[in-house]
Amino acid sequence: MEEKLTREELLHVANLARIKLTEEEIEKYRVQLRKLLDDVEKINEVKGYDDDILIACWDNNTELRPDTEGEMLDPKQVIENAPHHAGNYIEVPVVIGESEGA
Amino acid sequence: MKYLNKGIDEIHELLKSKKIKPIDLVEEAFENIENNKELNAYITLNKEEAIKTAKELEDKEVDNILFGLPIAVKDNICTNGLRTTCGSHILENFVPIYDATIVEKIKEKNMIIIGKTNMDEFAMGSSSRTSYFGAPKNPWNTNKITGGSSGGSAATVSARDVLFAIGSDTGGSIRQPASYTGIVGMKPTYGRISRYGLIAFASSLDQMGPMTKNVYENAVLLNAIVGKDPRDLTSANREEEDFTRFIGKEIKGMKIAVPNFLMGDVVSEEVKNKIKETIELLKKNGAVVDFIDVKYLDQAMILYQIIAMGEASSNLARFDGIRYGFQAENVKNIEDVYLETRGQGFGEEVKRRIMVGSYLLSGENAKIYYNKALSIRDDMRKEFNKVFENYDLIIGPTSVSTAYDLTDPMDDPRKSFMDDVLVIPANMAGLPGMNIPVGFDKDHMPIGMQIIGNSFEEAKMYQLGSFIEKELNLDLTPGGEK
Amino acid sequence: MSNYIPTIGVEVHVELKTKTKIFSNARNGYGQMANSLTNVVDLGYPGTLPTLNEEVINLAIRAATVLNCKIRREMFFDRKNYFYPDNPKNYQITQSRTPIGYDGYVEIEVNGEKKKIEIEEMHIEEDTCKSAHRGTRTLLDFNRAGVPLIEIVTKPCIASSTEAKLYLEKLKELLFYCDISDCKMEEGSMRADANVSIRKNESDPFNTKAEIKNIGSISNVGLSIEKEIERQAKLYDAGETFKPQTRRFDDKLQDTVLMRVKETGNDYRYFPEPDIPFVVLTDEMIEEAKKGIPMLPDERRKVYVEKGVLETNANKLVQNRPLSDFFNTLLEEDTDFKIASNMLLGDISAYLNREEKELSETTLTKERFLELVKAYAEGTITSKNLKDMLDTILESDKSIAEIMKEQGIENITDDSEIRGVIQEIIKNNPESVSDFKNGHDRALKFLMGQVMKETKGKANPRLANEILLEELKG
Repeated sequence: MEEKLTREELLHVANLARIKLTEEEIEKYRVQLRKLLDDVEKINEVKGYDDDILIACWDNNTELRPDTEGEMLDPKQVIENAPHHAGNYIEVPVVIGESEGA
Repeated sequence: MKYLNKGIDEIHELLKSKKIKPIDLVEEAFENIENNKELNAYITLNKEEAIKTAKELEDKEVDNILFGLPIAVKDNICTNGLRTTCGSHILENFVPIYDATIVEKIKEKNMIIIGKTNMDEFAMGSSSRTSYFGAPKNPWNTNKITGGSSGGSAATVSARDVLFAIGSDTGGSIRQPASYTGIVGMKPTYGRISRYGLIAFASSLDQMGPMTKNVYENAVLLNAIVGKDPRDLTSANREEEDFTRFIGKEIKGMKIAVPNFLMGDVVSEEVKNKIKETIELLKKNGAVVDFIDVKYLDQAMILYQIIAMGEASSNLARFDGIRYGFQAENVKNIEDVYLETRGQGFGEEVKRRIMVGSYLLSGENAKIYYNKALSIRDDMRKEFNKVFENYDLIIGPTSVSTAYDLTDPMDDPRKSFMDDVLVIPANMAGLPGMNIPVGFDKDHMPIGMQIIGNSFEEAKMYQLGSFIEKELNLDLTPGGEK
Repeated sequence: MSNYIPTIGVEVHVELKTKTKIFSNARNGYGQMANSLTNVVDLGYPGTLPTLNEEVINLAIRAATVLNCKIRREMFFDRKNYFYPDNPKNYQITQSRTPIGYDGYVEIEVNGEKKKIEIEEMHIEEDTCKSAHRGTRTLLDFNRAGVPLIEIVTKPCIASSTEAKLYLEKLKELLFYCDISDCKMEEGSMRADANVSIRKNESDPFNTKAEIKNIGSISNVGLSIEKEIERQAKLYDAGETFKPQTRRFDDKLQDTVLMRVKETGNDYRYFPEPDIPFVVLTDEMIEEAKKGIPMLPDERRKVYVEKGVLETNANKLVQNRPLSDFFNTLLEEDTDFKIASNMLLGDISAYLNREEKELSETTLTKERFLELVKAYAEGTITSKNLKDMLDTILESDKSIAEIMKEQGIENITDDSEIRGVIQEIIKNNPESVSDFKNGHDRALKFLMGQVMKETKGKANPRLANEILLEELKG
């Protein structure tokens, strides 16, 4: 059986999760994650279930919200908890590249 | 004079007749907490504000049974102006700017929040030892764990510091510590209580609930905190009911199922024997108890690992040091803000689970693991539905053993899941689950029984729970009644 | 350069015109003070949960309807996970598995031929916050975070930059007319991405594609597609290839530039959003949403031409929604639509432009406008009269007759008075009379001029013309 979770795969996952790992952590987590992944691998042995999925045990469908404005924060509150701000803006070190999303 | 070890009806009468004031209760609570400091049950105390609130209440009419009573709140529930850490370095100095819906409800009843209780970091763990603020200790034996993740809430109620605490339960985090500390802990049906303001671990599993010294008080507190909330689309729209209404009623004719899985080899003999004794008691009093097979129960832990860690990896992505919380020093670019902040800000267990979750959702894995887990979960729920066509309630042990030593090794990443193997199924199927103390092991550590009900049938669970409580009449004060 | 067949797909993001955001009740607004339109939900605060704005669903149903999409009756949302500072939760709530609309089309006309641009799907999602780069820092304004969007994705069925432009113009017109969006590309309420690949023959498999992101105007979409086709063709001609990539259109260079080469594919780790239960659309909701659909632009053009409006004017009216809406209120009336359209697009438009006003800000009502058109059609007022009266017509509530009276534009409609004047003129201009009788039309114009001169322009021109002819023939 091919080895589960190579160093590269672990680093890929750590990067997806944006978690910096030290050299020691890499080896430690590789071993630990492999144990957990061995567990979840057993899901492939389960048989006999149907295709319906259960996302969460919702008791009701979504009740839509009326399009009426509610209270908003003062810009001062917005920046209050932010580690860095400039004026009313929340500030971060420069971003290189464009957003991937919308 | 001590009041907080009395029942709430008695305290209510004392408050109503002005024999005592809320401030007496608040002062006593802080005295108790100070005396039990060793338990490390709290991350943050709300002393000034609590005293202020208590004094303000002196001018108000004692209008409900919960009026003026001190309560502790788990530290993953947002409290406006009161630090909320989730047991994590990354939120060490985070002060929310809004109240969770459950906190609003507590305040509406004029209860007094005493402090924020210790917990596993982001509720990830089963012994509360992953807390950034050190593990809480078990009042029955301070060398033992409280269980987790609501360990601080369990410890402070068990020690009789306060009357009530709120916990949260994603995969047993109310019931399992309740069983280790000898208290009553209820995880209500998914959707019973608005999750708005509960810092999410796994959104489809998380549910808060009351942790109390007895069944009646648990039901009374539940009455106060349930309800549809327009801010939480997953909260259930159910008619108001009194959860105490079946308490004290006979259990004759009640049909109870014991899934064989819950009494399997993983459960210690001592625990199993105590459950069997309780089953005999129930039978003697006219309940019908059957041992049955429930399909997929043995898969619940795997489903839990996939779904909970998958959701968690996404839910915890927002902790990036930009809008709130800790940000690493000396970061040069945005990527470092993320990598360093999260690398330094999260503890080992949390990092591990986020990475596993990311892996399980990554690329083709989502199909191989996640979607499959959602499918099997659906079948598991259907299996439970079938059981409830024939039975009123399901029972079994809450935990595989009693509380173990604080110094037991933490290096097995599977351990915390194994600890919760009996409590996880209720979360997967959205069902209400409750722990009720049924006795002690040879070292006089509490043993708990789990009652699982059909969706929205908490009242029936309280009926059975209160019956057992009354019949067993255990002394559940650590160190004996004072 | 050899000939290649381009294959183009277009993705459009449109901000919906709602009062509040998609998942929170903070205001959906543009151009306000930074971070003044947010609440804890928009900022992704711990413990917060999304709610779902009913108007978003309403507008999305409307959009799906006018884009001829099938409408999904039960849907959920998905989380798209990626870290970026403009993404407050570091996941975006979107619809990946169950888009609200699918299998639709927009019809365009290319070189006189109708073509359906097929819509793969349209889904609902949330917008990101706005970031501005200042030296070594980036500033974040969360006002836009959580503004509702619909994303409309075509199949790769667009064959040229012209088709792409026509599609976008049509799309913009439809969404704008249905009050779904402002569609202001300059303010970012409509944003377009184009996917471009080329190949030699119809039978060849698709080649590598490049995605051009966030193009700021429809004409630049056209230009960037052309430039991209050219760039790819040059590479292939030189025997080179390229990797899948994301590019952007640079206004200064008037060309596309590379942003990044796509790695092995983005790993967005989609999974169903557990915080939002199923959204179920009822027949009533769909009917209600459809009620908000006005007469669509193509239909308007058709009806206007049928009513006698010149085709160019019909187009101009449709391009000016307030005028077109006003014009639509007349459609059931018995009036001269050609004159009405000329008047709206001529003097009235000139007035609105000069005064920088909307039609709704003037005092013009349907009834007064009909009175005006009637007066003009019957010749009671001349075009010069109209110009003189217009400011008063548009700024007061007085009836047209009243204004005419006030301004002394009391035209002579008295038959005998005009006849008298004409008989006098005929007597004094025998030369012109005989010219007319000899078939010189110019003589008639001269004589009419004399009539107007004599009556100081107050004679009803049509009436004067009739009497003049009678008198000349008689």
